[in-house]
Amino acid sequence: MDALINAYFLIKSGQFDLILVAGWEWMSEVDTATTNEFIASASDTDWDFTVGGFYNGYYAALETRHMQLYGETIDDLGRLAVRNRNNAVHNPFSQWRAEHGKGYVTLDDYYKDRIIAWPYRRWNCALISEGACCLLMGSEKAAKRLADNPMWIAGVGLGTDSMRPGDRLADWAYHGVYKADEKRYPVKYGKLKTPYPEMANFGFAREAARQAYAQAGIRNPLKEIDVAELFAPYDGVELCLYEDLMFCPRGEGKTLIREGVVEREGELPCQLSGGLTAFTHPVGATSLLQTLFLHWQLAGLIRKKLGDATLQVKNANKAITTGHGGTGCQGGVIIYSRD
Amino acid sequence: MAGEVRVIEDKATPIKKEWEEYARKGNWTVKGYEIVRAPSGPGKIEESPEAEYMVIYRPHGVLYHHSYGLVSKFFKGLIDRKFLGTKCPKCKTVYCPPRVHCWNPACRVAETKWIELPLKGKVHTFSVMLFSAEAFLEMLPFVLGYVQIEGADTALPVQIVTAPTDVFVGQKVNIRFREERKGDLMDIYALPAKGQTVPEDSCLHANKKNIQDLNRDLENTYEFLNKRFGIKKADVKKRWKAK
Repeated sequence: MDALINAYFLIKSGQFDLILVAGWEWMSEVDTATTNEFIASASDTDWDFTVGGFYNGYYAALETRHMQLYGETIDDLGRLAVRNRNNAVHNPFSQWRAEHGKGYVTLDDYYKDRIIAWPYRRWNCALISEGACCLLMGSEKAAKRLADNPMWIAGVGLGTDSMRPGDRLADWAYHGVYKADEKRYPVKYGKLKTPYPEMANFGFAREAARQAYAQAGIRNPLKEIDVAELFAPYDGVELCLYEDLMFCPRGEGKTLIREGVVEREGELPCQLSGGLTAFTHPVGATSLLQTLFLHWQLAGLIRKKLGDATLQVKNANKAITTGHGGTGCQGGVIIYSRD
Repeated sequence: MAGEVRVIEDKATPIKKEWEEYARKGNWTVKGYEIVRAPSGPGKIEESPEAEYMVIYRPHGVLYHHSYGLVSKFFKGLIDRKFLGTKCPKCKTVYCPPRVHCWNPACRVAETKWIELPLKGKVHTFSVMLFSAEAFLEMLPFVLGYVQIEGADTALPVQIVTAPTDVFVGQKVNIRFREERKGDLMDIYALPAKGQTVPEDSCLHANKKNIQDLNRDLENTYEFLNKRFGIKKADVKKRWKAK
C-alpha cells in the first residue's frame, strides 16, 4: 500500500513517468508458530508481544471490545468467513481453492472450525502465504500510450494511530475530531478520555478515508463505490472498517453483513477475491494483489483472467482498497476509477 | 565522559556467554536438505507443471538487546515490586503503560511525573488464546487481557490468570507480581477479584454455543499440550487457582 501511494506521489511530482511496483513475501521458512512469532516482532515487542500476544491475539482483543460495545455475534464473523471462502472457490489463484477445492462451505462448517484466539476461529484469520505481484504505474500520458484498460487513481489517503492499542483510550490525535462517533460510544462500558476510536475502531482508516474521499469527490461511499478489496487480516477488522470507511455509522457494521450488502450480489461487494483469509496474504504483496484484482474488476477482465465470470461486478466504475500495518497503527486508502 | 554508556548493574554477562554457543550452532549453515517435486512456473497452481527442488534446513540463533529508554523505570519497578505509571502535570492524564511525555497536543510534550499505581483495575478487553507464537505455546490456553488500571486512562496488556470461560469485559482484577521477575510485562499477571458474577450482556457469554465451542476447543488444546509437551489437563487447571 505504501509503495503504491509513494509511486503515485513520485509520478504526480513529475519526476518519474513510469514505475514498476513489485512486492513479494515468503512466509513458510519456519513453522506456523514461529512465523507468528516473527510477524509479532513487528508489533510493540516491549508492550504487547511479551504477554504472549501475537497478531491473532491483539486483533481478537480489539474485536472482543467492538463486539461488547456494538453487539455483533460470532454468526456475523462466520458469515464473512463463509463468504470469503465461497468467493475464493471462483478464484483459481486463491490459496483456499488450491488447498480445499471448489466446494462451497456453510455456517455449520465454520462452527466446526477451531478457535485460535476467541472470538476468532482459524477461518477468521489471515493465511500464511507465499506470493508476489508487480504493477506498472505511470503518468496519464504513459498510461494512455501503453495500456488498453488503464485504471486511474482517484484519491489517496494516509493515517496513523498509536503503536500500542491500549493507548487509544486516551488517543489525543482523535480527541473531539469525530464527535458523532464519540457519541455512539456506549458510556456504560467505561468513561474514556477519547471514546473514538478507543480499541474498537480504526482511527487511521477514518482519517485516510476522509482524505481519499475528499480527493475523489465521494460523498456517499456506500452508493458511489461499486467494489471493495479491504485489507482485513481478520474478519472483525473488515466489520470495523465498514464503519471507519463510513459505509455505515459506527456500530452498524453488523447490519451490512446481516442485510447482505457486502455479499457477492450486494450493494457493495467486498473481498470478492476471497480476501486475506481465503485468497492470499503474502504481506509485502497483498495490497498489490488486491489492486490487481480490482483492476480486473474495473476492466471487466474477470472472466478472461479467472476463467469464470461469477465474481465480475457488472459495470463497476469506482473501487476502494485499504492498507493496514501493526494493530491498526498506520495505513492508507486508495480509490480507483475506471473512467 | 559525556556520551559514554556505563554499566551500573550487570545481569547480562552470563546469558551473553551462554548464547555464544547457540549463535555458533545457529550459524546459517545448511544442516540438512530434501529433494522435492512441486509445481513450477507462473499461472494457476492446478495447471502448473512439476519441477524438482532442493529444500535446505539451516538454523539461526540470536540474542537481541535494546534499551527500554526513558520508560526503563517502569520495568525496573516491576523487578522491585513497584507498579508505576506516569501523570501529565497539565492535563492530568494518567498513562499505564507509561509515557514519559504527554502526547496531548495541548500539553506541548510536557514531561510526565512518575506515580505509584494501585494493584487493581478492570478488564477493558481480552482474547482467549488457544494458539500462540512458539515462545508461549506451553502457556496455552491463556487469556490475553488489556486491563485499565484504577486511576489510569489507558490499558495495559497483561495475562489474566483465570479459567478462560470465566473472563468478561469490565471484570475487576487484582494485579499480582510473579515470584521470579525479569523486567517485562510477564512479571505481573491479573487475577479476577472474588465474588463477581458474569453480566448478562457479556459478549462471550451472550450465547451458550460460544461457551460450548470454547470448551470443545479447550479440550483440543489440552490434547495438544499433552502430545507436544507432556503437560496434563489437571495441571493446566491448577494454574487458574488463586495463589
